[in-house]
Amino acid sequence: MSEGTNRRTVLAGGLTVGAGLAVGSTLARTATAGTTPAPNTRRSVSLVVNGTRRRLEVDPRTSLLDALRDQVGLTGAKKGCDQGACGACTVLLNGRRVLSCLTLAVMHDGDEVTTVEGLASGDRRHPMQQAFMDLDGFQCGFCTSGQIVSAVGLLAEKPDLRRAEIPELMSGNLCRCAAYCNIRDAIATAAGLGEDG
Amino acid sequence: MSIGTPITRIEAPSKVNGQAVYTADVQLPGMVHAVMVGSTIAAGRLRAIDTRAAESAPGVLAVLTHRNVPRWHGTPDDLHYVEPRFPLADTEIHYHDQCVAVVVATTREQAAYAAGLVAVEYEARPVVASLDAALPTAHEPVWRFEPLFPSVVEVGGPKEAFAGSAAKVDAEYRTPYHSHAPIEPNATVAQWERGRLNIHKTSQDVHGDRRIIAGALGVPADHVRVWSTLVGGAFGNKTTVWPHTLLAAVASRQVGPPVRLVTTRKQVFTGHGHQPPIIQHLRVGADADGTLRAIIHETTNGTPILFDDPEPTISPSASMYAVPALGAYVRVADMHMPAPALLRTPGDGPGMFAVGSAMDELSYALNLDPLELRRRNHLAHHPLKRKPWSGKQLLDCYALGAERFGWDRRAPRPRAMRDGDDWVGFGMSSAQRLEPHTAATATVAILDDGTAEVRTSIAEIGTGNLTTLVQIAADGTGVPVRRFGIVSGDTDLPEAAPTHGSRSTGSTGTAVHLAAQNARLAATRLAVADPRSPLHGLPTDRVGAADGRLFAVDAPERGESYQDLLRRNHVKAVTEEGHHDPNAKNQQFAFATFGAHFTEVRINRNVPRVRVTRHVAVFAIGRVLNPKTARNQAQGGIVFAAGQTLSEQLTQDPATGLFVTPAFTDYHVPVHADVGEIDVSFVEEPDYNAHPHGAKGLGEVVCVGVHAAIANAVYHATGIRVRELPITPDKLARLVRESG
Repeated sequence: MSEGTNRRTVLAGGLTVGAGLAVGSTLARTATAGTTPAPNTRRSVSLVVNGTRRRLEVDPRTSLLDALRDQVGLTGAKKGCDQGACGACTVLLNGRRVLSCLTLAVMHDGDEVTTVEGLASGDRRHPMQQAFMDLDGFQCGFCTSGQIVSAVGLLAEKPDLRRAEIPELMSGNLCRCAAYCNIRDAIATAAGLGEDG
Repeated sequence: MSIGTPITRIEAPSKVNGQAVYTADVQLPGMVHAVMVGSTIAAGRLRAIDTRAAESAPGVLAVLTHRNVPRWHGTPDDLHYVEPRFPLADTEIHYHDQCVAVVVATTREQAAYAAGLVAVEYEARPVVASLDAALPTAHEPVWRFEPLFPSVVEVGGPKEAFAGSAAKVDAEYRTPYHSHAPIEPNATVAQWERGRLNIHKTSQDVHGDRRIIAGALGVPADHVRVWSTLVGGAFGNKTTVWPHTLLAAVASRQVGPPVRLVTTRKQVFTGHGHQPPIIQHLRVGADADGTLRAIIHETTNGTPILFDDPEPTISPSASMYAVPALGAYVRVADMHMPAPALLRTPGDGPGMFAVGSAMDELSYALNLDPLELRRRNHLAHHPLKRKPWSGKQLLDCYALGAERFGWDRRAPRPRAMRDGDDWVGFGMSSAQRLEPHTAATATVAILDDGTAEVRTSIAEIGTGNLTTLVQIAADGTGVPVRRFGIVSGDTDLPEAAPTHGSRSTGSTGTAVHLAAQNARLAATRLAVADPRSPLHGLPTDRVGAADGRLFAVDAPERGESYQDLLRRNHVKAVTEEGHHDPNAKNQQFAFATFGAHFTEVRINRNVPRVRVTRHVAVFAIGRVLNPKTARNQAQGGIVFAAGQTLSEQLTQDPATGLFVTPAFTDYHVPVHADVGEIDVSFVEEPDYNAHPHGAKGLGEVVCVGVHAAIANAVYHATGIRVRELPITPDKLARLVRESG
């Protein structure tokens, strides 16, 4: 996460953690009204999404991921866990890869967001997309948007990437179908790395 | 021919550009959102529930509880793949995070917020939350698949035969709760239109789901339509109709607009299936030369309080070896757990962990190479059915796997191979999985615009089945793959086999194969009866098809395209059906898929974490339809099973019954950095006895035997036998310390 604040810290004052261990009779409440932002407040936020400026009216509790999916209508980024643990929601925020489920839309007024839908140049796929396709770097495809965006972000972060570094540096993106061998090969191919690269 | 070529998945473009649609991507006009509230106890009853604060929260449209949920119809006991107690049916709590309320609101944020305002008062009861604690209730299961999966198999006096054996293994093997943990959470979008229900859901079987949903809601099945768009991983957890689907449907009926209910990651772990904890007691006896004399396989798994759900782990014992005396017994023990679900690979996965480990232990007891022990007990026929196996190239799998792996470099004794601070170990296991036959129907249409189309209700869960079905249809009709489309995942389409248990290739694939043959024959008949056709008058069996064209087999230049034929005759489409009848299979043979796994582990002796650095697998699955997708699926299955072996464990607190690892941060599925080199090959020989296209299932067999191969390699590396999964560093460190 390149951003200083994530959703957990924003809501920290407003959540009491669940009922805990229940023995005998318990009264469980997982949220306390009045300490979160007034539920009907909507805030205006302007995002540059895949090069296009979008002005959104969002609930302050809306994650960047939900804003992209439900308001901008870009459903390429996926919600696999909503906890920052699977990587399926990876997008580029001002060029860096972030987990869009762990940051709130209202925090990003004026920021530039690139999703998987914004990688291609017109009809021409991004080389990373093409490599994933050619080398079968997925099965079900649900984590794929995140894998591809993360891989594009990785190459931007580390132009001198070596093949042996790929597994460690991509380990924030889970693939339960475990197409890992092919994902690794696809990233190496898109990066122009040979067998020993 | 497109079968056998590594063509790219037909849906690949949409999967790399973000356009592929999954259930939670479905947006319907006016759609509102539902969130489930789960119980914070695992056993007891709900004494009171206060929904007033939630109901008055902004945006909230309804709160469903046991007090106001409409009466369920149907008879759950008669329904497959659904919990026998419908959601919110009463106030009883049988497991942690059981749904006690559903909040429906205009936005997801509003629903999630209000869900936190639902206050519940519970009366907790003592909980049974470990298999050891449940053992006093162990009993023979009563369940509907008894004839197919017997709970008791006894032949030849196993106790006496075991007692009289020259070499013996007597050991207990344990596997924990394992989760499917697909990256896509289970989700449903429900919409009512004039008494008819539209359901978009994460599903491996839309027709099966429809029967359950219609039954539960008391509406005719033909008033319910179920779609499964692309499915974001399933591994069995989308075979069941879970409470959230039924609740989304009743919520929508109550509030009016369409309702989307996407489960949380925690809910995927707590209430959407798992493989329960299992204890297997294996006793294996053999002669001094390794010939098996007796197997006694007793297995007990945890089952929910309300119904028996046995895990048929005895399958390998009852089908692999020519053991003259066999006793196999399946029992279940009552626990406060949510419903299990078929998990890749049901029965055989954990079963082969035990059997493959016991065979390894026997090999050391006999001072015999583990591979040689398996060769000596190789069996060409099914030991109980007494029918020859069709397509059992297991010996070829052993030979090719051993060669590719370099098995001959294995030191015979354990803890004999070192590399710096690493202990190095080699392990192997066999793989076997019975090949299922399930009814399936498909149509193939050849259209007058030169294209063609497969129609069948199959769900694509990542196996590549849309692509392989099109390959089968393309070769059957002679219309090239690039001009083929496929329509799938919808109950308005002919009923495919469910996408679980490796049924797509064999059963649905056969239906598509037959439909394609029938469509080609119908077009051929049209041509030979048409005086304007260059094929006029030819016998139909002298007409071939390729490149979208019918031609005379004896004079290939004589012929015409389907397009010309259909347009001239003003036929928009030639559409034919194919049906796979499971009873029509060749009764002379027994059918299964086979394989062999060879694995290398490296374990740092100071920090004993097991790394699978190299894995070689060879499978005999008949004809390989698409080597690109097949290899990927096999590699993925091996990693899937390696995760179950080394790191995955859904942990239930034994005191409270609460699940304490329901998140990817705590339930450790393999990540990129965990995966070493995985070499997959196939012994390719079409099995036309099994299916007319010669191919068999792949998705399940690839996971079978991996657990044992790794555990056996750990023993070979360290001299320490770990009989309880997962083989985590803390467990191994303790055993290393105890062993001195």
